[in-house]
Amino acid sequence: MIQPCKIFIAFLFIFMSSSAQVKLSVNTIPKKVNIILDGISMGSSPIKNERITPGIHKFEINSEGYAPLTYDLLVNPAQAVQLDFFLNPIYLIKFKTAENGLVFEINGEHQWDEKFIRLKLEAGDHSLRVFKLGEIIDEQTIHIDEPKKFIYYLKKPVAEE
Amino acid sequence: MGILCGNNLNLRPTFLVLNHFDRKLTHADASLKENFSNSVFEFDSTFYLLFDNIDESENPAASNMNTVKDLGEKHKVNFVLYNKIKHDGDRFMLEGQMFNTRSGGLIYRRKIDLTNYLNGQMNELNMWVGNVTGKIDDDWQKKRESILFANPENIKPEKTPMGAALRSLIVPGWGQSYSEKKVSARVWAGTESALSLAVLFNFLKYDEAAKNYLVNLGLYNNTNDEKEVSVYRAQAESDWNDHVFFSELAIAFVGATGTGWVANSIHAWIVGPRAYKNLYQKWDTQLPDSTG
Repeated sequence: MIQPCKIFIAFLFIFMSSSAQVKLSVNTIPKKVNIILDGISMGSSPIKNERITPGIHKFEINSEGYAPLTYDLLVNPAQAVQLDFFLNPIYLIKFKTAENGLVFEINGEHQWDEKFIRLKLEAGDHSLRVFKLGEIIDEQTIHIDEPKKFIYYLKKPVAEE
Repeated sequence: MGILCGNNLNLRPTFLVLNHFDRKLTHADASLKENFSNSVFEFDSTFYLLFDNIDESENPAASNMNTVKDLGEKHKVNFVLYNKIKHDGDRFMLEGQMFNTRSGGLIYRRKIDLTNYLNGQMNELNMWVGNVTGKIDDDWQKKRESILFANPENIKPEKTPMGAALRSLIVPGWGQSYSEKKVSARVWAGTESALSLAVLFNFLKYDEAAKNYLVNLGLYNNTNDEKEVSVYRAQAESDWNDHVFFSELAIAFVGATGTGWVANSIHAWIVGPRAYKNLYQKWDTQLPDSTG
């Protein structure tokens, strides 16, 4: 008769240990952004006093006009965890040049040879490289902080020196 | 009443604050005391044990239980608050850990990695401590938000192409001047002024010719003198022709002025102020040696 009772207590202990939950609060800037935790929507931010089990979790935050954010979090068995996510806006950028035969590359990934294009770029610094006849002729960092038009010139006018 | 106050004071949570900053934050201790009157703080700058590597422990939350309990007993506090600020270029990292001195376990933890901003370290420290003490000031949040990039919808440029177009619709050239296109502003203002003057001039000539025609017609009708009839008739015919000519010219100039006015407004919109940046090649291109 004692044996089943011990098993029940052991089960209860394991169950309680495994379900020990951590209080979770999530704030985002901007607010009212849909938060997805491990593939399940938690609703709109800010999220307060939700529960999360210790272990590895994946947050996905997507909002129109902002760069999508994916964040892997190892939750330690603490009483509470608070997360602050800052979403980076995406700005519409126009890029124009009157020069011929140039190939542009941004962030080492995307290339184009058109004289006028529209880009959607995340706010912040981006690396621009310029190629001519397969040779790199220029490299510089462009700062994106608002919807803007960039006009690229090969030579700097004397007045600008 | 005295008993109530006394009880309230006793209910205030007590914290031992262990600050580890890689740069000096003046008045940090005093600022915490001032901002969080709902809590009692003690500071121990002599304590050098860092809780840096708790993630390497098998059980991070319980890795420093004995130390925390000892600190709790020694300082007679409810919680130990460990704050670490480390700078890296233009960013700084704040790690906050809050331990319960009764259990010795980690109950709250926060890591923040942010671009530095004016008094950002103190602001973030306030936000972290505010979270654990339950007292958050909206100004701290606003101050933090000030370093973030603006929502595209909230960016309102001081000058807009539409503003330029409307200005040019009121006074030709004003929109171009507003867009700091001084040459085209002068050209449009000059052209529209000249066309307007031409309209006025031709209207006055038309008016004069019309009046003269009526005068000469009256004289022509009121005379029986053969010579005068001939003169008045010739003058009346000339006035009639002038009146038709200047009328047509005035209408043409009115059309040109109106079309120019609208075109000037459209031009002001096209050249209107927009955010742009000129990028110039930074490197000197090496020209191939053609001397052989």
